[in-house]
Amino acid sequence: MATFGNNNLSAKLVLLGDMGAGKSSLVLRFVKGQFLEFQESTIGAAFFSQTLAVSDATVKFEIWDTAGQERYHSLAPMYYRGAAAAIIVYDITSTDSFERAKKWVQELQKQGNPNMVTALAGNKCDLEDKRKVTTEEARAYAEENGLFFMETSAKTAINVNDLFYEIARRLPRAQPAQQPAGMVLADRPVDRSRASACCS
Amino acid sequence: MDETSSISFPSDYPTIDPTSFDLVVLGTGLPESLLAAAAAAAGKSVLHLDHNPFYGSHFSSLSLPFPPSFLHSPPLPPDPSTPPSAPSPSSSYAAVNLRPHRLYSEIEIAGSSPEPSKAFLLDLAGPRVLYCADETVDLMLRSGASHHVEFKSVDANLIYWEGRLCSVPDSRQAIFKDRTLGLAEKREMMKLLKLVQQHIGSGDGQVAATAEEAAVGISAEDLETPFAEFLKKQRLPPKIRTIILYAIALANHDQDNAESCKKLITTKQGIESLALYNSSVGRFPNAVSAFIYPIYGHGELPQAFCRCAAVKGALYVLRMPIVALLIDKESRQYKGVRLASGQDIFSHHLVMEPSLQVPSSVSHSNTVCEGLNDSNLIGYAARGVCITSGPIQQGSSNILVVFPPKSLHSGQLTTVRALQLSSNVGVCPPGLFVVYLSTPCNDVILGTEYVRAAMNALFIVPNSDISEGGISTSDEVTEGETRPTLLWSSVHVQELTQASFSAVCSCPMPDENLDYRKILESTKQLFTNMYPQEEFFPKHSTSENAEDDSGSSE
Repeated sequence: MATFGNNNLSAKLVLLGDMGAGKSSLVLRFVKGQFLEFQESTIGAAFFSQTLAVSDATVKFEIWDTAGQERYHSLAPMYYRGAAAAIIVYDITSTDSFERAKKWVQELQKQGNPNMVTALAGNKCDLEDKRKVTTEEARAYAEENGLFFMETSAKTAINVNDLFYEIARRLPRAQPAQQPAGMVLADRPVDRSRASACCS
Repeated sequence: MDETSSISFPSDYPTIDPTSFDLVVLGTGLPESLLAAAAAAAGKSVLHLDHNPFYGSHFSSLSLPFPPSFLHSPPLPPDPSTPPSAPSPSSSYAAVNLRPHRLYSEIEIAGSSPEPSKAFLLDLAGPRVLYCADETVDLMLRSGASHHVEFKSVDANLIYWEGRLCSVPDSRQAIFKDRTLGLAEKREMMKLLKLVQQHIGSGDGQVAATAEEAAVGISAEDLETPFAEFLKKQRLPPKIRTIILYAIALANHDQDNAESCKKLITTKQGIESLALYNSSVGRFPNAVSAFIYPIYGHGELPQAFCRCAAVKGALYVLRMPIVALLIDKESRQYKGVRLASGQDIFSHHLVMEPSLQVPSSVSHSNTVCEGLNDSNLIGYAARGVCITSGPIQQGSSNILVVFPPKSLHSGQLTTVRALQLSSNVGVCPPGLFVVYLSTPCNDVILGTEYVRAAMNALFIVPNSDISEGGISTSDEVTEGETRPTLLWSSVHVQELTQASFSAVCSCPMPDENLDYRKILESTKQLFTNMYPQEEFFPKHSTSENAEDDSGSSE
């Protein structure tokens, strides 16, 4: 994979939003190009990673899904920690999910990372005939709250890649070192050579 | 803690769906979280509840104000008078109200709370670290929990000896460089290290698994003798013996005192500890000592395992107390739990955190609930949490300090341990330091006195009334000027309760040790007790925890 000098970014991206809004489907569409009509509530992976090349850099996303812990509002603080980007997902056919998305925006603002790139995604935009949340309403809300907004469909793939590309484009190129960096445990005994932990 | 979500009015309690599980777990401490994750990994359906709005229970890391209110007060909503929806008389099961049990006492705060309070993350179970090579680390790797937590190395291990702090020579290089040791002492210590190294598997850094392997060079008879005796036989000078016993083998009780003979570590245990220490040094390239500390505090570990459990399908509900156990009227077997919302949830197994107990009046006549009484109490740990204006040793960030028995005063029977942490592990603002202290004790007054004596030795304590009479610290020996000022402190005593095994499992409290080995051991036993057929985090499961489609890029 091509690299652009030192412009390799690594970014944690978290997904937020109501159960059933299509968070996992968006990730699966982006990472694997798949769509399942009846996606199970959990997808069985702690996170996905996917690398994107944008004009001036390569961005490696580490994408975290809620693993269902949002269902009874029990996300751990760990989930938000160190996140460089967030996608708040709602379902355009459900006003409830849009209202809940606003709650997630507030929750995220409380976590207080001013540099976080936040996107609002109105998912299931293929279901135009069942639409309950207008594009205008959502766009106005996004503008007020400094989010960027797109309507997506994990089913038809509309805007899915664009959403992630746009996030990659907006990530600050020089990431401020506000998070203490530590070592990651790695499953390689010392004697099998190779540095097993990253920077400290 | 940045957990600030919706307020928990009883009317807010959600209805949980489904209502039947293989396992219900109450409390999100490390043992409970490990059990939830292990059961979920084994394909069991798991409901994991906590009455608190945060993860971690007795293992959490919390913002100020500290200690949190749940240390002062019992965890249950104090309204057993309003049992929600009494079961109909025809019901086949009876509800047995749970009794909250207070595990903390002698709580005393001094100094004004530093700001900003949110910038602090204070461990309830401190001081605590992980050996780089211990099983907890392996388990994190095996379960995938290691994806969620980063660590920092503990930079130095110090011992309080004759009124001053000396560094612990814990490797060949350190022994070689140490200026306080004589040549003969260095030789003796090298000899012992060599002996220990013979017990470490051939180069792969693993601790010798069997007694036979470990016995190379040391007779079986010697292995059963007290380690302190063995070290004497090796003609090690007192300082080296003390360092090995209390700073490397991490003995918590006076090894030269016949009264604490139950707590004497054997040569076998001592050698194993040394071997573990030895294989921990240098296991990770960026870890300079044997120990590591999780960034953002120990409360990250339960969160990581809870996330592993959730990824495997476990259901998570915070802010959900349970009020009663449901017991089958006929068989007297455990059937389920009644939530504060009034909802009844059924499960085959139940795991509870140690602050919940079945009233003894009931449990006596009830085989199911055996082992949930005060008999789990094995002692106490006095713990101190301090915020200081500067480091204990100039230029230091994260260091361990051990006060071996008798080092603070002649009557001191137990080891006092301290762990200083800096802002580079994300637990306090830059410039300030957090120091944890603890000592095991049978007498709570004595325990807190030891902790305060150690605080007086390490810090300039503004109000001298904090230091209680009788204990003289070696102030005149330590250069007083270099000691940091104690800004704020909290001292409390915590019960040490063991795990108990029955149809209803009760998890252990944070123990008196510096590491998680014992807690992990009893957690594994609880798991095996519940699921004898299942492996505790099978080795092959790692690969599915992360999906990486990014190809070759690094």
